[in-house]
Amino acid sequence: MTITVLPLSSRKHLLNIALCLALMWGIYDALMGPDLVSDLRSFTGRYGAYLLLVSLLFTPLSQRWLWVKRHLALRRNIGVWGFIYASVHVVVWIALEFAFDWQLMVDEIGGNLFILLGILAFVLLLPLAATSNRWGLKKLGYRSWQSLHSLTYIAIAAVMAHFFMAQKSDVLEPLLLGCVLVAVLLWRYRHAH
Amino acid sequence: MLIKSSEITSEMVFNKRRRLIAAGLAVLALPAVDKGYALLLQKQEQAKQPFPPLASMPELIPEVLEPTPLNIITNYNNYYEFGYGKDDPSKAIKSLITSPWTVDIGGVGADKPGLYDIAEIKGEYAIENHVYRFRCVEAWSMVIPWNGIKLADIIRAAQPNSKAKFVRFTTLNDAQQMPNAGWSGGAYVEGLTIAEAMNPLTLMATGIYDKTLEQQNGAPIRLVVPWKYGFKSIKSIVKIELVEHMPQNTWWKQNDREYGFYANVNPRFDHPRWTQATERVIGQLGRKPTLLFNGYGDQVAHLYPDPDNRLYFY
Repeated sequence: MTITVLPLSSRKHLLNIALCLALMWGIYDALMGPDLVSDLRSFTGRYGAYLLLVSLLFTPLSQRWLWVKRHLALRRNIGVWGFIYASVHVVVWIALEFAFDWQLMVDEIGGNLFILLGILAFVLLLPLAATSNRWGLKKLGYRSWQSLHSLTYIAIAAVMAHFFMAQKSDVLEPLLLGCVLVAVLLWRYRHAH
Repeated sequence: MLIKSSEITSEMVFNKRRRLIAAGLAVLALPAVDKGYALLLQKQEQAKQPFPPLASMPELIPEVLEPTPLNIITNYNNYYEFGYGKDDPSKAIKSLITSPWTVDIGGVGADKPGLYDIAEIKGEYAIENHVYRFRCVEAWSMVIPWNGIKLADIIRAAQPNSKAKFVRFTTLNDAQQMPNAGWSGGAYVEGLTIAEAMNPLTLMATGIYDKTLEQQNGAPIRLVVPWKYGFKSIKSIVKIELVEHMPQNTWWKQNDREYGFYANVNPRFDHPRWTQATERVIGQLGRKPTLLFNGYGDQVAHLYPDPDNRLYFY
């Protein structure tokens, strides 16, 4: 059975399975590598950022390509997985990198703006992830839900700024992602409906 | 296509959405604002802080150093000539020809210059074992059991004269043997003051864990200066010169705002973009506080009479 004849619901399941497997592979790869902490932190941070950015690309690209429009429903899954990767990223930082040493964490945040940006991004993503379902839409009502989910733009901008500023020397990747994000934000600003 | 009136986004949400998009764009500008502010701060002097007496920190200096496992030491490396990633140097083809290898020892400050084969160097001097902390400027660290020769022995053999104020080291730079040889626009260069070079801690390492150095660790011979940030411990050395003037080391040349000549480890002086107060021990969980002079203050603090001067610590 080829992908093209699968119903959308099955494609959603496939996507979920694929992204779950990817995360598990990332954890395995980090465990096998020389430094579990930095490898896992990098993996979840990088691919979490990619997933979140991809979820934003759906709307502008759906105007261009019909197959994107048909898969619009996958946007939510990708966004939520981006949040899941981000959560693992945060857990790794708190539990593995800093081993729950809160004072050390506070000191580190104080000395590094990029960590504060990461925290801002995560805090904004929390209610977005929590309401990315039918229950959320029903509870909030369409208008409020739309308002709340407009926070996505700030959250993902904070993610990209965090990614960029966290680099020691390799800024090309976050810079490119940032450019894509700027393009999306400008497009959305123009076409806000 | 008819749109139901309920589907039309209310004006309030429309405006709010636009405002949030604008806010998003503003957040993206934050790194630029931060950099601008940092440049402004660079004009101001670092706040003077009292020099902490080394005796107050004995509990932070462990008596027994636990060496990092070899597979970690050989798989987590910064050696940009073989790629920018931490795993690039170990994954790269072993294209570096480490035998034969000669080290050219000379310069105006050397009365007895010479071209030494690596085998000669290893044969001439006693190989010692030293377990040192290694602290990268990126705020990660390892503990490495080096095998090597005191740099002081090698310099003495070159008969330094009064012109020998500094020592300048050069790495091999060969595009045939190194896939990313041109990353810094020339050969990697490092330097020490003659006093730092003659310090008993300073090592010319030829092995780790009694095994010959691997390509990714700077084979066949590299410098180890444990009280300084790791980029000072230059790899794959082909030339050592005793010179009169302070050499401009590569990272200082690359980015003089963030990397200087002395680069002594000091948790009080942050890198412009990150703190140096703590470090990640590679292969372990958690972070630990960074030690002044990486814990080697007893042997080297006397070399730096002005402990409040950022010049020595970046």
